[in-house]
Amino acid sequence: MDFTFSPEHKALRRMIRTFAENEIAPIAAEIDREHRVPMEVMRMLGETGLLGICFPQEYGGMGAGEAGYCILMEELGRFCTSTATNVGAHIGIGAMAIHLDGDEEQKRKYLTPLARGEQFAAFGLTESNAGSDAANINTRAVRDGDEWVINGGKIYITNGGYADIITIMAVTDPSRGARGGITAFIVETDWPGFEVAREEDKMGIRGTSTAELVFDDLRVPHENVLGKVGEGFVTFMKSLDMGRLTLGAACLGGAQAALDWSIDWTKTREQFGAQLAQKQSVQWMIADMATEVEALRSLVYRVAWLVDEGQPFTRLAAMCKLYGSEVASRAIDMALQIHGGLGYTRDFPVERAFRDARIAEIFEGTNEIQRIVIASRLFREHGVRISP
Amino acid sequence: MMRIVVPLRRVLDPAGIVAHRRLRRLFINREEYLIEPADHCALEVALRIKDDLGAEVVAVSGQPEPDDETLQRGLAMGADRAIYLSGEGFENADEAVMARALKAVIERLDGAALVIVGMTTLDTGQGQLGLRLAELLGWPQVTGAWSVEAADGRLEAVRRSGDTYVRVAADLPAVVTVPACALKPRYPDGVRLINVYRGEAGMAESLEEWDAADLLTVEEQAPLFESRGRDFPVERERGTRVEGTAKEAGMAVAEALRQRLRR
Repeated sequence: MDFTFSPEHKALRRMIRTFAENEIAPIAAEIDREHRVPMEVMRMLGETGLLGICFPQEYGGMGAGEAGYCILMEELGRFCTSTATNVGAHIGIGAMAIHLDGDEEQKRKYLTPLARGEQFAAFGLTESNAGSDAANINTRAVRDGDEWVINGGKIYITNGGYADIITIMAVTDPSRGARGGITAFIVETDWPGFEVAREEDKMGIRGTSTAELVFDDLRVPHENVLGKVGEGFVTFMKSLDMGRLTLGAACLGGAQAALDWSIDWTKTREQFGAQLAQKQSVQWMIADMATEVEALRSLVYRVAWLVDEGQPFTRLAAMCKLYGSEVASRAIDMALQIHGGLGYTRDFPVERAFRDARIAEIFEGTNEIQRIVIASRLFREHGVRISP
Repeated sequence: MMRIVVPLRRVLDPAGIVAHRRLRRLFINREEYLIEPADHCALEVALRIKDDLGAEVVAVSGQPEPDDETLQRGLAMGADRAIYLSGEGFENADEAVMARALKAVIERLDGAALVIVGMTTLDTGQGQLGLRLAELLGWPQVTGAWSVEAADGRLEAVRRSGDTYVRVAADLPAVVTVPACALKPRYPDGVRLINVYRGEAGMAESLEEWDAADLLTVEEQAPLFESRGRDFPVERERGTRVEGTAKEAGMAVAEALRQRLRR
């Protein structure tokens, strides 16, 4: 057993933290207030190579593995949930689908500029009737010679408003459903027939783009089929497994930030003639937060290690997302309680963190879906098959 | 190709230190080292010259182990070679010894066009390295340069003089010192960072270790600087708060200054 980070991962964390402190922390409140995606930060992240952190160097990536990617998401999550979300949608699901199932030509053409941050990616799964029930999509793709003609649309697509490349899922054989009837495609957003219909106005993660997309006779060349025809559902579920782990890492960062803010505040704030830190009621809250943060850290980096070792991790990735989002929400809720009235104002980052944290219990599969994934995998190991 | 030597020193991250005046002790809560901020800027100046004109940037460090982090960070930022000076007795090297060692390094490298070094250190506030090195080499020096351009055997630098900036020139080879706030150093390149730590893509060969004993005699390694312990400076006299309107407060401050002058 070895629970230490390698020197390269320590150096990577130091680099990312310095970047986040200098470039992200100063604008985190502003992008939330102005409902603006910080494209300047995304471009700088690309220049430093961080947007290709887990992809192989031969495709423009850094080759730092899943553990390196979790470090990136944890550090971004500490300073700005919006930036972590933008990066997570780009690397963790959008480009990840091409990394996992793209052929050599697709990786050269699409993954390389995405890993270098020259282009940005999104992941198009959710539709108005298909979120948690992902196989129930209505977007249709019909073969026409060497092309596919896609009609339909997607909603709540993170990065959808500015992405250059979107991996989408469409029905190619309605009679077969998720088992052989759904295909994944790589779509360039400047192709005719692709339209961004609207941007959502959200409660939190306001520094992100969440868009509704419409496909109207969108023609996609056959070479842009991602993986095999009919196996797109598997490609998307594999990408989501990766995304769930790193969403857990971003939640770890958010929970750690809540703990750090709380410790700082309880050292400074005095009531009844003593620091808040001297009050047992506050000490217990801090102790509970710290314990959950450490438990989450152990889970996240253990699963990252499993991924880097090529071992199965689907059930544990669902646990990272489920536990991570709940730990972050609890920690930030306690931080708000500790900060009192001041924490409720926009002068302190706790208020923003509170709004930002809630989405983690919903997107990339609601926490109810994560419980289904965990339970179904567990029961399958015991010979019981359950359906959602 | 022009060769630029950049000495890189390390300094304890001040964010990890708490000074407890009453106990007269320094508490090191987190022992992490930074590249000396002025040296960090010096490396950025060198890398910008490399970006513009092409140059070989050689980072040199001679501090007690574990020092590899300083040089690895330098390589990740874009330095072409990194030389770690090791050796028994060398860990006590002060700026006088380091200047002698750098002179020997430059001779062994078959010369350099420029040495760019941080003007002062964050911890001890010393600023002798660049000056001593220029003296030993017999090269011209530009101190406190905010930007440097080098071409055709000449360098031009902008330095601060009183309230203004002046442009100065010198023949190469030369020594330039750079203040800590001169410019914003670049972030390490992620791919280089990973390769440096893994020793891949030729990075293992870029990090060299030279024995200081091959460069300096035992006498030359003797430091001038002797450490006799640490103490806190005398506590400053506390100020007093003046009340009232701006005019009344201004009058009170003027009166206090007058009293002080009379004392």
